[in-house]
Amino acid sequence: MGKEESPQVTRRTTRSSSSSTAANNAVEATKACDSHPLTINDLVFGQEPISLDDVLSGFPGRRVQILELVRLLGPANSPMLPLFIYGGASTGKTSIILQIFRHLNRPFVYSSCRMCYSPRILFESILNQLFLHRKNITNGYSSIKRCERPSDFVNFLREALTSVINNLNDNSGTSKTKRAVARTDGNMIYLIFDNLELVRVWDKSSTILPFLFNLHDVLKMPELCLIFVSNSSPDTYYSNMGYMEPIPVHFPDYTEDDLRQLFMRSQTNQKLYSSFLDVVLRPFCRITRRVDELSTAFAALFEKYCEPLGDLEVVPNEQIKRRLFSQLQPHIAASMNEVFKVSSQPSPEGESNKEIKQKGSKRKSGSCEEIDELDFHMSASAKYLLISAFLASRNPATLDASLFDSMGGFDGRKRKRKPSQKSLDHKEAAEQELLMKGPGTFPLERLLAIFQCIASVGEGTIDEEEQGNEGSGVKSGDGGLMSDVLLQLSSLCNANFIIKGGSCPLEGSTRYRSTVSEDMILKTIKTVMWKLLVTWPSTEKILWRKSAKKKIFNAIRRKQEDEVRAEQHYRLRIKRNYNNIEDQMGKIACLQPQHDGGIRPKKKKEGNNGRRHFSELQGRWAR
Amino acid sequence: MGREKVAEEALNLLRSRLCDPSFVFKPLSNSPDSNYSKLKFIISSSVTEACNNSILLLGPRGSGKIAVLELVLKDLLEEYPDMISVIRLSGLLHSDDNCAFKEIARQLCVEHHLLFSKMASFDDNSQFMIAMLRECGLAHKTVVFVLDEFDLFAQGKQRVLYSLLDAMQSVTSQAVVIGVSCRLVCSLLNYKITTECEAVLSWDSDEFNENKLEVLTIDVICRLCFLDADQLLEKRVRSRFSHRKLLFLPPSKGDLQRLLEHILSLPIDSTLPHDYAVEFNAKLQNLSINVSVLIVFMFRSLSNLLLIDHDTRFRAVSYMDLGSGLLSLENFITALSTMERQPKLECIKEYKSIHDAFQTSDYYARNVCFRAFEHLLQRELICFTDNRGHNQSVEFRPVKLLISSHELHQGLKSYRSCPVSCSWKTCYCVHPSMTISSAKGFFFYPYG
Repeated sequence: MGKEESPQVTRRTTRSSSSSTAANNAVEATKACDSHPLTINDLVFGQEPISLDDVLSGFPGRRVQILELVRLLGPANSPMLPLFIYGGASTGKTSIILQIFRHLNRPFVYSSCRMCYSPRILFESILNQLFLHRKNITNGYSSIKRCERPSDFVNFLREALTSVINNLNDNSGTSKTKRAVARTDGNMIYLIFDNLELVRVWDKSSTILPFLFNLHDVLKMPELCLIFVSNSSPDTYYSNMGYMEPIPVHFPDYTEDDLRQLFMRSQTNQKLYSSFLDVVLRPFCRITRRVDELSTAFAALFEKYCEPLGDLEVVPNEQIKRRLFSQLQPHIAASMNEVFKVSSQPSPEGESNKEIKQKGSKRKSGSCEEIDELDFHMSASAKYLLISAFLASRNPATLDASLFDSMGGFDGRKRKRKPSQKSLDHKEAAEQELLMKGPGTFPLERLLAIFQCIASVGEGTIDEEEQGNEGSGVKSGDGGLMSDVLLQLSSLCNANFIIKGGSCPLEGSTRYRSTVSEDMILKTIKTVMWKLLVTWPSTEKILWRKSAKKKIFNAIRRKQEDEVRAEQHYRLRIKRNYNNIEDQMGKIACLQPQHDGGIRPKKKKEGNNGRRHFSELQGRWAR
Repeated sequence: MGREKVAEEALNLLRSRLCDPSFVFKPLSNSPDSNYSKLKFIISSSVTEACNNSILLLGPRGSGKIAVLELVLKDLLEEYPDMISVIRLSGLLHSDDNCAFKEIARQLCVEHHLLFSKMASFDDNSQFMIAMLRECGLAHKTVVFVLDEFDLFAQGKQRVLYSLLDAMQSVTSQAVVIGVSCRLVCSLLNYKITTECEAVLSWDSDEFNENKLEVLTIDVICRLCFLDADQLLEKRVRSRFSHRKLLFLPPSKGDLQRLLEHILSLPIDSTLPHDYAVEFNAKLQNLSINVSVLIVFMFRSLSNLLLIDHDTRFRAVSYMDLGSGLLSLENFITALSTMERQPKLECIKEYKSIHDAFQTSDYYARNVCFRAFEHLLQRELICFTDNRGHNQSVEFRPVKLLISSHELHQGLKSYRSCPVSCSWKTCYCVHPSMTISSAKGFFFYPYG
């Protein structure tokens, strides 16, 4: 089975056939006859046994491991200690052990900790198989026993195993006399636990893992043998409990020669494929030696390789080879980068990282294609919000005033005229630290303050799209804008562009953090402010580098200055409204303070007012 | 042909012996001052004199605590039929109070042919247990509680231990509580460890290099806890505990050799042909001196545990050549060599390929780095420093390296197609903690 197919397929077929074995050949059995009760014979592999030579030839480069496993499993009826098979992903651990059992024709119970994702499901699936129980409509697809705790499991398992072993003993006693072909050999029963490394994530109280490792001692049944299959080496399983170490068997990664043999196995035109492998195998081996990743990459590449050839049966000579090579060469490098983009297996990490990775992959695909537009629609205010979140996340809060105030920037520039070496070093270190730590967190007030600065600039230049926002949000006063923006913010949070961080212990308010990459923010900026930022340099500039930042905001500021007067007028109006409302509220509830810190009649000059302007904004949002 | 069949039979016999711990420890039970005799004396005295007792069996894993206990119980059950009932609990399974009482009630029911109700509450079960203890005491029947992984019962409120030991304070009951634990007193073994270390150092400096010493210390630390199992007990429980302890130490060299012969030699008077058994045993006699020297120095001194050379023997036996049907020294040596695995070196070897990818002149895209990073994670060469920070994106979460610089160098050396530049690069990688972006920095910056 699967011998003549490509290794990827072999793997899958063994997986699927093993899972159908795990379900007691559910598919075949239901097809054949539904009423057929399961017998002990259903615990073996379920297909014709194969010879050891077939197993060996089916897995090139795995001779040592197969022979060792067969030796460790020993002749029929010989008890053994637990086994621990480990090795990297797609090195043939599971398929080899299953094929060996097919060869040996002994009863076994296979359960993968990936399929059975919790202790209860794992226990019940093992018991179902041992009790020869099949979930169907008559029993409402329920398991035979309900067991959640290891203690119950041990009792049931002991019960099940004794019945199975008695059954096996009877079977081997009678079948040798009655039937020429005994369906099962020996009276040993083997439990195979696949993907054991996942168990470590399950149990926070870490009871299941030591329990599984000690199961052999707990049960004290010589007819039982446990086989653990795992991705990671036994060193990573140390717990503070300790256990009898199972016998380790290591499956190393394939070498280049092994890989060549593996890939050559399934090909029709051997010569052509070997010349293809000559070209691609070496560079790809430097990146990955996982068969599943390589086979997906090679499949596509081989098609390209064969494209110029009309006849696939042709035996290539030197000249054709050279021609094909030159044809293929540009594709290799591109494909090498592709290898890692599509994961052919589900991610090895826990679910917790999944959403991040999804986002990551979205970002990757976005940045790869170099399109100037975003591939999804966002409202203008959401875009502004995203930009301001990005700015708030990448810039220290101390820079805000100088960046966003109309006048504040100037004294900042004066101060920076003579930077000492020390301060330069310091700055560099800070930048390095920023690079290491990633985006920082910011409170909601700061985000909203920046948002208003940006949006107020944007409003003037961007017309019809913004009109609605202006009308509904700004002119109707704080309340409307606030709720609108907060809605946008929560939807951005849901889309995972902004993450709610932990709340600050002193202030107690929630802090946010933006996770978008520079590429994406550049694109967003282009779509929103393209009129505004004509002066902005090429997209390659990194936004959060100070120089680029300055340029953007110089541009913004220029526009801003024009707006300042109008805006302040308008703000005064809002303030008046606000004060009125507040007075009334204060009269009613006496809860809110009469005056905001920032609210006072405007008597000072513009220049002085600049810095206060920002803090005032922030103060107002803080309410 | 006949020879092969015989050899297979012998192999089966040896394998079943190795898998049966009570067989392994049988010969050690003969001497009068062995743990076997002490334990047997304590339990039998409490059976005959109708008194309560509690003992703690301490020893590293694989030193035969349970095996000896099982031997004792088996003998006593033969000696005093119908006077002993054994309740077995394991801390791994029954550390939960509710579970433990349920299991006690269940086993008592099975023992006395009563009907066990699954629906019984915690109170019902505990009252049932106390009532049963009283009844058994009146009937002069001893109940032996075996608590495997005793230290796990000492977590939480220790209600099981308290109610068991409290029930034993009354005159009417007649019970023995035997705790089995591998948490040891450090001071007791300290002396032994230091002598072992010295033995290792003086033995052969070439063979036991730095790496092995590391393993040794880790081994020792892993297996010894700094709190004795009975120090974990609450005050109310400790005051009711008898503080009787039996220490199981790993067998000495002479004992090991005896054990080895005991396990591996074939019985002369069995179904196996006489001359084959004799030949096998004679060969073994020759071998055993060499083999035991080998095993003893490789493993006894290293971790001082039977369990490891247990494994070795198992492998050796399974390597037994069916053709000749005899164990040879080569078998043992191959087995030993397969046992020696270098922790994580294999992974590093594989993993250099990824590192190389960054260090060659080709420029790989950003997602290649991500993927390689995931591979490293999967191999557990690095890990995230905290699991809580899920809200950060992957690229900014701090990670740490899980291997030492020494291991890294070894791995690099053993990887054959490793470019020269790798070796000096390693010094970068040994930073205790780095984020992926900084790691990328290491990969990219030197090559611009």
